[in-house]
Amino acid sequence: MVHAPTLTPSTEESGPQPVRKARLRRRRGEELTKVLFVAPAALAMLALFGYPVVKNLLMSVQDYTLRTFFTGQAPWVGLRNYTTVVKDHLFSQAMVNTALFTIGSIAFQFGIGLALALFFRRRFPLGGVLRSLLLLPWLLPLIVSSATWRSILEQDSGILNRTLMGLGIVNDPVPWLNSPSVALIAVIGVNIWIGIPFNVTLLYSGLAEIPVELYEAGQLDGATGWRGFRYITWPNLRAVASVLLVLGVVYTIKVLDIILGLTGGGPANATQTLATQSYQRSFVDFKFGQGAALSNILIAVSLVFAILYLRTTRRAVDE
Amino acid sequence: MSDSVARRAVYTAIGVLILAMMLFPVYWMVNASLQPSGNTLTAGFLPLDPTFAGYRRALSEQGHNLVTSVIIATGTVVLCLLISAPCAYALSQFRSRWVSIGLLAILVSQMIPGIVIANALYTAYEKIGLLNSIPGLILANCSSGIPFAILILRSFMLSLPASLVEAARVDGAGLVRAFVAIVLPISKNSLITAGLFTFLFSWSDFLFALTLTTKGGVRPVTLGIYQYLGTQVQNWNAVMATAVLSAIPAIVLLIAAQKYIAAGALGGAVK
Amino acid sequence: MIGNRIAAALAGVTALSLALAGCGDSGNKSSSSGQSVTSLSILDYYNNDPDKALVQKGLDSCASKLGITIKRETVPGDTLIAKVLQQASSKTLPDVLMLDNPDVQQIAATGALAPLNDLGLNADGVIQGMVDATSYQGKLYGLAPVTNTIALFYNKTMLADAGVQPPKTWDELKAAAKKLTKPGRYGMAFNANATYEGSWQFLPAMWTNGGDETDLKSPQVAEALQLWVDLVKSGSASKSVINWTQGDVKDQFVAGKAAMMVNGPWQIPALAKAPNVKWDVVTFPLNKPDQTPVAPLGGEAWTVPLNKDQAKQQKAADFVKCLNSDENELAWAKARFTLPTKTALLDQYAQEVPSMKAFAEQVKTARARTGKLGDKWPDAAKVIYQAIQLALTGKASAQDAFKQASG
Repeated sequence: MVHAPTLTPSTEESGPQPVRKARLRRRRGEELTKVLFVAPAALAMLALFGYPVVKNLLMSVQDYTLRTFFTGQAPWVGLRNYTTVVKDHLFSQAMVNTALFTIGSIAFQFGIGLALALFFRRRFPLGGVLRSLLLLPWLLPLIVSSATWRSILEQDSGILNRTLMGLGIVNDPVPWLNSPSVALIAVIGVNIWIGIPFNVTLLYSGLAEIPVELYEAGQLDGATGWRGFRYITWPNLRAVASVLLVLGVVYTIKVLDIILGLTGGGPANATQTLATQSYQRSFVDFKFGQGAALSNILIAVSLVFAILYLRTTRRAVDE
Repeated sequence: MSDSVARRAVYTAIGVLILAMMLFPVYWMVNASLQPSGNTLTAGFLPLDPTFAGYRRALSEQGHNLVTSVIIATGTVVLCLLISAPCAYALSQFRSRWVSIGLLAILVSQMIPGIVIANALYTAYEKIGLLNSIPGLILANCSSGIPFAILILRSFMLSLPASLVEAARVDGAGLVRAFVAIVLPISKNSLITAGLFTFLFSWSDFLFALTLTTKGGVRPVTLGIYQYLGTQVQNWNAVMATAVLSAIPAIVLLIAAQKYIAAGALGGAVK
Repeated sequence: MIGNRIAAALAGVTALSLALAGCGDSGNKSSSSGQSVTSLSILDYYNNDPDKALVQKGLDSCASKLGITIKRETVPGDTLIAKVLQQASSKTLPDVLMLDNPDVQQIAATGALAPLNDLGLNADGVIQGMVDATSYQGKLYGLAPVTNTIALFYNKTMLADAGVQPPKTWDELKAAAKKLTKPGRYGMAFNANATYEGSWQFLPAMWTNGGDETDLKSPQVAEALQLWVDLVKSGSASKSVINWTQGDVKDQFVAGKAAMMVNGPWQIPALAKAPNVKWDVVTFPLNKPDQTPVAPLGGEAWTVPLNKDQAKQQKAADFVKCLNSDENELAWAKARFTLPTKTALLDQYAQEVPSMKAFAEQVKTARARTGKLGDKWPDAAKVIYQAIQLALTGKASAQDAFKQASG
């Protein structure tokens, strides 16, 4: 991807051959130790996710309805649930909305998050406290923050329109959540607000891990300012940034509560995403098979990003 | 790094401004919590005629739930870090084709809708008697905490100089000792960051709390707040007040953690 | 704990042996485990006070009458069905289950509920609308002690100041709403959000005008939708109605930002907390003077999930019967601003609680949402709220909206 000279601490240093051979016997015992490093996590993951993953896959090829919960019977329907949800007149709109929602949220969360993280790397009074306080929105139950945002964005009495009109920025109140053409932007805006603290905190920690010596060495080579960012900061931040981005996609693509809390998918389906559609099919229409099919489509999309992530990190390790 | 005092003051001012913008909705919630109606339909910029009825109610009814929330969130952090840290280290340093598969599995786990996991856990908990218990909720919250912590910790540990561990190994330290004595202390910063978000995930959980409890005994604040949000009648004044009150102990915890992050970062720089 | 498990295992063995012995002697079964029922588990969604405590009172009094104890679980309203499904799949349903009346048929259709007729209960004297809602394929599956509906609330001071009479027809409603609209205030508020609640608030207009959920593309339904469109287009109602819940509508009314609203009697306690708002209620206006007002029936029914333990199931049915006694109906109705479901009690009740008079009138002719379509009602309800959203955002005309929404 990048073949510019970068200053990264070497991540891979295998010992010289003879030493290795000498350690061969100890290695055998160590293989077991290595397994023990992973075993608790592997067991926990299996216990927590093994059944749900299989269940979600099975459900999507069954006619899984309300009745199923009581009788346990769910007739096999093959891929019919998938064709039904894909043919639905809302599917393409939900797909586009999901893409816009995810791309819009991630781009701004990450961009603003990185800018703020760089800003907070400067040492100034109260910097640490201010950065911690940034996490405050995460401590509020979502039901409360979405209710608050609804009141802020309310067309007639909301404080945002009152302020914008008071300052003369707009002449007419903006129909933030009332117009099909604006609602998605408003919902993305709120999601960006929620995502910024997450991005700032993780990127800040990533920045803090970059050894100061690299910058000192960089200064000698004239790598300061933008060049410093390009050749020192970014390459060293890449491991953290890429995991942050992939997690961002995985988490954002399935966002449900925020949209339900703000618009419920309306007005006129303007904010329907695959996640809200999946929820509605399962818990409003009680067509659980179709809901599972939609959520599996979501998973397939996420999976593409996950594989992309794995390829980039593998390359980072191999470098 | 060597900015002048004046410049640093300007930075502080900018920081305060950024924070004010980011936290305006939080302020607006506080404003709402001080209105008798619990909404800001007729409210001015400042709550000039505040009522504390919501706070009185929240204090008398939610204290116990707040303690439950803190215990669950803290327990989740401890359990998740204990399980995730060794795994993250293994995934960052050991060379094996299983690493990619493991990472993919972890990512896939985060794509499963929460309700599917909650339903599965309900059935299992019902059988093994973990419903209505704090350990049960801690374990459930680990379903978001463990994968997250593994991925985050791994991404930090990727930049760990392997030479450091190798050196200890040459001195005869076993894998476990090298991990405990060298890797963990160096990773303090990232451990705290991962722990922080595990705490926040767990703190804001509503789904598991709802699914895996069937009576009043064990009830985190996120669920407790619903006693003001009825099917037909909502008491927003108390809801907002509870949200404000419950954020206070949590933010104190976070600031304390942040102090550790600063200390951790210094420790990392000294190495 | 362990005792329970042994008991459960024994019960399982008993059931198995009975099954092996053949299925002729069902009479034996109920008498064999006869008197041992000492407690019932209950699930409902009255999760906040004052309702929670008021309902508890009724439950407690029936429990003491039957000589049992109760274990009650309450969950937030919109999570009840999910909870029921979890419990169904792990066979841990409660002995007595409260359901919102439009859900009764859907749950009954799964075979999860016990038909109450077989357990000695009937719905004699109950308003037809509620009987329709709680019956499925000719059998009774639930009984609702109290009900509610929606009507038109108005701010007496604002109407008097504007010299406006409470509207009786749609034309009067539109004219009044326009006249009452001033800067910072709308004449009318209602809920048209993209949920079943939005459909529910539309039903008085739709049904009164002769519209029917079996034919949503009819001109009568379109006319009703045109009323909503006219109110919003003319600026007499806020464009935000497409996002408002009924609680938001009440907040607007209490804040003096709406002079009239469509809402239900459960808001009365909240209105009482704002003594400066003087209000009254009338039935929802008619399109043409010769129409009869038809409003939708609200309220929750108490059901008995099927139980292998016959004695327990019978006790649960007795409990539901007790909840539906005249005495408890009136007690709950008075305390919670709801209405008794027995016709004979309605007039007496309206006299004792004058603020409920308009609602008592509405209820007699009110219809159940599931009355005609049964467990297919949710599909229609979804088309209704989708169509309302399309029309109010200008994405379709009132005439085309229903066609588009069902397409």
